[in-house]
Amino acid sequence: MQLIAFLILFPLVVAALLLVVKGDGLRNVLVGVSAVVIAAASILLAAQYLGAAWVGFEFSSQAVDYLACAVGVAISVAVIGFGMKYKNYFAVGLAIVQLVGDLVFEFGFAHAAHVEVGLYVDSLSIVMALIIGIIGSGICVYALGYMIDFQKHLDEHGEGMTELQRKDRRPTFFALMFLFLSAMYVIVFSNNMVWMFTGWEVTTVCSFLLIAYTRTDEAIANAFRQIIMNMLGGIGFLAALYFAVVFTGTLSFQDFVLFGLGSPWLVAVPVCLLAFAGLTKAAQMPFHTWLLGAMVAPTPTSALLHSSTMVKAGVFLLIKLAPLFGVCMVASQMTILVGGITFMLCSFMAISQSNAKRVLAYSTIANLGLIVACAGVGTPEAIWAAVLLVIFHAAAKSLLFLCVGTAEHHIGSRDIEDMDLLFDRMPRLARFMMLGIMCMFIAPFGMLIAKWATLVSFVDSHQMALVLLLAFGSAATFMFWGKWLGKLAGIAGSPENVETTVHASEWVSLALMACIALVACIALPIMSSALVEPYIVSVFGQLGEDIAVDNLWISSILAAFVIVVFVAGARGSKAKRADVYLAGVSVDSDHRIFRNSLSGETEATSRNLYLDGIFGEGIVRRPGEVICAVIIVVAIVASGIVPPVLL
Amino acid sequence: MSFITTLIGTVAFAVLAPIVGCLLAGLDRIISARMQGRVGPPLLQPYYDVRKLIAKDDVTVSGVDGVYMTAALVFTAFAGGIFFSGGNLLMSAFVITMAALFFIMAAYSSRSPYSELGAGRETLQVMSYEPMVLLMAVCFYMAAGSFNVRDVFGLPAPVIFATLPAFIGFLFILTIKLRKSPFDLSTSHHAHQELVRGTTTEMSGKTLAKVEVMHWCENVLFLGWTALFFLWGGPASLVLGVVVALAAWFFEILIDNNFARVKWQFMLRSAWVMALVCGGINIVVLMVA
Repeated sequence: MQLIAFLILFPLVVAALLLVVKGDGLRNVLVGVSAVVIAAASILLAAQYLGAAWVGFEFSSQAVDYLACAVGVAISVAVIGFGMKYKNYFAVGLAIVQLVGDLVFEFGFAHAAHVEVGLYVDSLSIVMALIIGIIGSGICVYALGYMIDFQKHLDEHGEGMTELQRKDRRPTFFALMFLFLSAMYVIVFSNNMVWMFTGWEVTTVCSFLLIAYTRTDEAIANAFRQIIMNMLGGIGFLAALYFAVVFTGTLSFQDFVLFGLGSPWLVAVPVCLLAFAGLTKAAQMPFHTWLLGAMVAPTPTSALLHSSTMVKAGVFLLIKLAPLFGVCMVASQMTILVGGITFMLCSFMAISQSNAKRVLAYSTIANLGLIVACAGVGTPEAIWAAVLLVIFHAAAKSLLFLCVGTAEHHIGSRDIEDMDLLFDRMPRLARFMMLGIMCMFIAPFGMLIAKWATLVSFVDSHQMALVLLLAFGSAATFMFWGKWLGKLAGIAGSPENVETTVHASEWVSLALMACIALVACIALPIMSSALVEPYIVSVFGQLGEDIAVDNLWISSILAAFVIVVFVAGARGSKAKRADVYLAGVSVDSDHRIFRNSLSGETEATSRNLYLDGIFGEGIVRRPGEVICAVIIVVAIVASGIVPPVLL
Repeated sequence: MSFITTLIGTVAFAVLAPIVGCLLAGLDRIISARMQGRVGPPLLQPYYDVRKLIAKDDVTVSGVDGVYMTAALVFTAFAGGIFFSGGNLLMSAFVITMAALFFIMAAYSSRSPYSELGAGRETLQVMSYEPMVLLMAVCFYMAAGSFNVRDVFGLPAPVIFATLPAFIGFLFILTIKLRKSPFDLSTSHHAHQELVRGTTTEMSGKTLAKVEVMHWCENVLFLGWTALFFLWGGPASLVLGVVVALAAWFFEILIDNNFARVKWQFMLRSAWVMALVCGGINIVVLMVA
């Protein structure tokens, strides 16, 4: 209990301090020390409640209730302010709806339902706390070095920018990062749905401010897109709270779930609305564009949004709802279909992208789709897979974003085509990046084990469409990761090493992420039994027929083998070196230059395949958005009007 | 328990599969030659070729392709070990994909224009066949009630009766997996095409020998998958399995010799349509039944 309070309040205090700290030195110390403290506290909490079933803490306070309401009002007012300033009246309208909704709810309905047990811990919140505490704060440390380079770049190359755009806003930036962590802790530890909602809204507005960081037109536009989409979800959440109070008489999440299991027809609408809120936050189609737009922000922001916060809040809520998906068919089908379609189509679109951050964004959305679909299926096996996917995705994706961020600063591009020879130019970074990519999609790394469990649970629950979506989507993931990996693998000549100027704080967090990813892969069987299975047992009372432990161990051994290959093998061999074959007409083999038919010199270049004509955004995006939007609308309407008997 | 079995199976596969695969490759060359009206090389010619490759000097462009190929070989052995020790079919399919990935990385690592092109196409080939492989495994699971290969011997009838569409789809993509014409886009047996030898252009000596051995092992594994559809009751059904596998092998050689190489667009579309139609229909039927 004290530990939970500490985890929620400590980042808040740090955020407040960071607002006033101006010097780099002091900020470095403050961020570094607090990151260690938060990580340590999260681990301590995990150790304390390891393997525990649901543990509630009796905590209710009028003051906190009012504070939550005040925060909600402040958020709405802030959005209205920004909306007026940048003339985005749609956002203003949504904020007004939310403001009125908030106030009416607080003073008209909330007191009808008193929540005794305000906070709780279970194995899922421990998993989330570890992700937030270790990966989230690791990203904050990374941001220290990154933001120095970022600001330096602004100062040196910012001639065309306005004073406002060039301003050093780093104090706000770091304060927002820590505020984000605090809000995430609120979401994962609150049993009181109103508090959870407050955390939910804080993450929305934090990402709004982080995306708008550079204040360029593009950043502002994307930030508004983000807040509009997420406020729609937020209003859905708020509406669900109304339904919860009126129909079930409780605002305790635990009681809400228990009540729903007993009388599913009464919770059909709120579950559907909550699932809708989860889908918007998890950036599922047709709301995926906000996450794509979010990459205009400095890279640590993307890393934070993609790996440990924001989108993870969305899937966290959906996983929590999983038991109810077993009884609410409409909400369950909506979640499954939207997740499955998003997985496949976003994997397709990732093939057509050469911008590394965009590939990562699409792959995040696709993976979230898989997690969402698993949550929708709601069987013990599917939830097992979903939680593992959350863990692997957090570790691998943060590693990848940080790698791309560092690469961008040192090779001057985030285009995958420019990452040719990265293995030579930035050997250590290239290995980290390859590791991240491998964790994302292949056996024996955990991601594939999780995908496999997903497949099994889809088959067992007779989700025919999902099996097909998964089969084609997975094939697409092989393509876009494989060709990126291939670009990195190239080795030739001896270009200069540009890695020496990378900040120490960046190396520290890169190494941390890499270690987490590796440990997660090798310790997969242990992680499964210590962290994931207790949650499954506590929710469903039993374990599903998941993957046999033997297979987990085989996977673990293979993962260890790959690491040995990378550490030992990639050092280069003593074999005699030969030049590349250029049809016998080479002029300079190191640079792949050959004598052409006019006796001139031509460099042989090749680009990866992007298959734009088949998987391009122009072809795939629109149908996907339309289909998913129709599914969502139909489901929400249907959950309200389908006769209770049928549910 | 099954963990130890898998390790033993892997070692056994690593020893036996190259022998069987080598003989199959020799047979392939003789049969192909006869189809073309030639006499063809001796049965053990593939073995002589590989022995010669191993004896050659180590020459490399990138310095790392040998390591990647070793990894590819080890993963192939694991995939075979998992399958032939009666393990999980899906796991076997995943691990062999891993081997394909390392092969692709070995090809990319040289940065030769020819092998980069080949590697890109090889990636496309994997993407083309992967959906059908997954759906094949899913259909097997639904028909047999388990992904475990050893469980087929407890079945009252071979799964082929319930999975004929999936089997047909699998035979189609088998040609891509075996890198046979008309789907030998990424490399071919002869270095006279527009991308020279594609993926293996810059490989020589021991590295090239590893590629050859890996192909032998892959062939044995994929024929094992083919035979799986026809096993039931007890180990006696293995005879039928071997006969079917050899028939499929002959069929592939026939196709190899009678079709010209297609473009990648056709490969991708046809393989995905086959997966959607054959796999989709089969899954629907199995779910309804």
